[in-house]
Amino acid sequence: MPETIATTPGTRAVPEVAISTISSLVTRTGSWKYQFPEYHDRVAPCNAGCPVGIDIEGYLNLLREGRVDEARDLLLAENPLPAVTGRVCHHPCENACNRRALDGAVAIHAVERAMGDLAHERPAPLLKGAPRAERVAVVGSGPAGLACAYHLARFGYGVTVFESAPLPGGMLRLGIPEFRLPREVLDKDIARVAAHGVEIKCDVRIGTDLAWDELTRTFNAVCIATGAHTSRALDVPGEQLPGVRPGLAFLRNVNSGKRPKLGKRVIVVGGGNTAMDCARSAMRLGAKVTVAYRRTREQMPAINEEIEDAMREGAEFVFLANPLEFTEKGGRVHTMVCERMVLGEPDASGRRRPLPTGERFTLEVDTVLTAIGESSALEGFFTDVEGADSGLRVDALGGTSRDLLYASGDVTDLARTVADALGMGKRAAIGIDRHLRRYHGDTTELNALRFADGNLSAARWLRRDPIRRTAAVNKVVTADDLNFTQFRRVPRHAEAHLESDIARRGFSEVNSGLSTADAMDEAKRCLNCGVCTECDVCLIFCPDAAITHAADGAYAIAMDYCKGCGICAAECPRGAITMTQDRP
Amino acid sequence: MKKVMVGNHAVAWGARLARVEVISAYPITPQTQVVEKLSEMCADGTLAACFIKVESEHSAMAAVIGASATGARTFTASSSHGLLYMHEMLHWAGGGRLPIVMADINRAVGPGWNIWTDQNDSLSQRDTGWVQLYCETNQEVVDTTVMAFKLAEQLNVPVMLMLDGFYLSHTAEPVDIPDQELVDRFLPKREAPYKLDVEHPHAFGALVKPDAYMEMRWLMQEALRKVPQALEAIEKDWMRMFGRSYGAIEAYRAEDAELLLVTSGTVTSTARAVVDARRAAGEKIGVLKVKMFRPFPTTLLRDALSGVARVAVLDRNVSPGHGGIFAEELRSALYDLPAAERPEIFGYVLGLGGRDITPTVIDDVIEQTRTGTVPSRADLWVGVNL
Repeated sequence: MPETIATTPGTRAVPEVAISTISSLVTRTGSWKYQFPEYHDRVAPCNAGCPVGIDIEGYLNLLREGRVDEARDLLLAENPLPAVTGRVCHHPCENACNRRALDGAVAIHAVERAMGDLAHERPAPLLKGAPRAERVAVVGSGPAGLACAYHLARFGYGVTVFESAPLPGGMLRLGIPEFRLPREVLDKDIARVAAHGVEIKCDVRIGTDLAWDELTRTFNAVCIATGAHTSRALDVPGEQLPGVRPGLAFLRNVNSGKRPKLGKRVIVVGGGNTAMDCARSAMRLGAKVTVAYRRTREQMPAINEEIEDAMREGAEFVFLANPLEFTEKGGRVHTMVCERMVLGEPDASGRRRPLPTGERFTLEVDTVLTAIGESSALEGFFTDVEGADSGLRVDALGGTSRDLLYASGDVTDLARTVADALGMGKRAAIGIDRHLRRYHGDTTELNALRFADGNLSAARWLRRDPIRRTAAVNKVVTADDLNFTQFRRVPRHAEAHLESDIARRGFSEVNSGLSTADAMDEAKRCLNCGVCTECDVCLIFCPDAAITHAADGAYAIAMDYCKGCGICAAECPRGAITMTQDRP
Repeated sequence: MKKVMVGNHAVAWGARLARVEVISAYPITPQTQVVEKLSEMCADGTLAACFIKVESEHSAMAAVIGASATGARTFTASSSHGLLYMHEMLHWAGGGRLPIVMADINRAVGPGWNIWTDQNDSLSQRDTGWVQLYCETNQEVVDTTVMAFKLAEQLNVPVMLMLDGFYLSHTAEPVDIPDQELVDRFLPKREAPYKLDVEHPHAFGALVKPDAYMEMRWLMQEALRKVPQALEAIEKDWMRMFGRSYGAIEAYRAEDAELLLVTSGTVTSTARAVVDARRAAGEKIGVLKVKMFRPFPTTLLRDALSGVARVAVLDRNVSPGHGGIFAEELRSALYDLPAAERPEIFGYVLGLGGRDITPTVIDDVIEQTRTGTVPSRADLWVGVNL
């Protein structure tokens, strides 16, 4: 039997469990720490990956909070054509999205599309800076030219856009078919650019109707955004035969409302978006279409969705096929002779290089559409500007080798996508603004305008970034920085598509997007990587109850009690807390 | 309601009848079926408990500790390395005086890696402040699980019940499932004397200085000292309501016995059969089943064994460098009996790592005990083939 042997007189009341009798505030556990938690908002990978430089995380966050108009305005601060890009952008943001590691990337393009359409119904207030005396000419009204004009107008400049075609839009109108981008949608997005005071003069070709040097004399600055409209030649025998046509010219015809006659069997040569657009347009004109590409499906530069749509609609694909010559019968093209290729080591583009095998095969054909790339041509242009014959060389802000002559979009030697064009247009606008205001600061300060190493933010250039960031660090948050256990799995919303049989019969838009409600739900899938959303997880998990959340949203850490355990940083769902060993 | 079920499901049924509110467990052979059954019950709504999935046994015990501190009735189950991984938290539950109930499916400890039964996993947790009850049948498992909650909550001590891996955990037997309404009357909702309460915030388990730590250990010792008596009263109630009882120890055909087999767990059933045969042949042999190992039922054992000539302790465990653990504890408990009443104790180590203890093995043990001289060695290993 246990017994006690009293060695000291008297007894005290001791509870059977160790329960505190005084406040734990006497124990200043803060003295134990060797590392410190700090709130640092970082950069979501979508923002860094967007060639336009949209604060995607920012506007998705506003949508999550139901602040739809503010989200729209933030989107429009960077992107003049969201209804367009929501439909046709190759959305590298989604490739970068950390949610891929959980349950699939956020369908950012579908949300952007819904926001773009919403902005047509509920227009944003026009933002115009204090008017400036200088006038700027933009040559070309494709995405690059429109972006440059739009941002310049918002900076306060008078802008005139010159367009050689009867209607503005450039490649958006002439290259992209209606079933991907309805004209009404394009018109509305362009109308908003014009509503900012941008004057768009169509049917004017610079170099022919108006000389380049007259243009540079008349305007304080010029931005060239004429695009690349010449299909590259295959350079093989028989290419001049009737029935072999440049794909771009074909698209231009179809997109102008014409319905050119095609042979029964059409071969499209190429694997990019132009090739897919040619194939899908040709099918709509009743042709049986085969796509011949010299690499394989994995290396095709076209947007994945478009390849899938082309396949669904019935296009056949012959991979590893390189055209060697076209033969004729009755004065027209009759066959395409190909060499079988094999994939070798990756080339400069990172894709595996096609290598010849010597094996030949022949495809019978009535019409060939070539779509292996486009080149730019400038008529009557200054010969001394670098890259005038091959693609203009530009600096980080779109400046060419000639003073006050800027360039953006496909006319430059940089990446050729709609998003890149919009991003370059914005960079040129910022470049022109800096130049005209004689602001020649150190260009490294431009890094503060970037989302990590991504594009520049116009909102930041204007010092009008509406998003409050806590001690922001310009670094991308990776999936490893996130705590996925704090997120539920929610499947990505799928967009509705026209049945392929119906789609193939006309030029109606194939992808009908998400309903507004679904798009708002999809926006809520955003993990807000790197950005504190005041979710209180840090506060809940802090074992010392050292974190408090003020009414204004700011968190404070009582350093007398924070013992530096790092649980807040580990538990933070979005990587917005950083542990540091540098004493604050 | 009679059902045929394996021991692991009997555990789950016991927890269900006790209306546990929070379960956290991590699966390990041979305990996995316990976790599976409970999660099924939670999923299909027959048990309104919160099932917390965790990444380890340490976290499982930590989770039920946290839940128990809020006043909830909590349950977990583990085995072998899982139980050992909980070790730190077992102390925390014991010292924190939290009435958690846990089932341990006895499994040998590696290496050599072994999934079969012996008692070294639970016996190595001897000093963590948990009550330890070793069960023999699936009926006893169901009944003991429910009674364990009553015992635990009465004295604020955690209770661990043991099932031999496979021999009980995976053996199906008919089990009478007590009526839920009666069980509810037997075991009302838990009333915690101390609990985490946001309205009255207190820190639990914080620093206790030398001037009070020892007093708290004394109170823990006092609580454990009260266990045999409390269990007796609880079993009386259970007997009255459900017609069954087990006891901290149970003597089987021990009257006038000159030799008693001291057993725990499923080997008891085998020993009963052997003793029945021996009794039929006129031999004065009986069984003493020791169900409760902690607190050690010293008084009960002294009363039961005083005057018996020879005692054979069957230990399915070993304290390396010493001997069979039940035998050593028993020797210590009986040491100061008057010499005339003190039995000669033969400590056998057998059945380790799941080796079968057959009636023949027990016959050998009886022969050795009856005819052998009193061993100088503490431990007699049965069936070692070297």
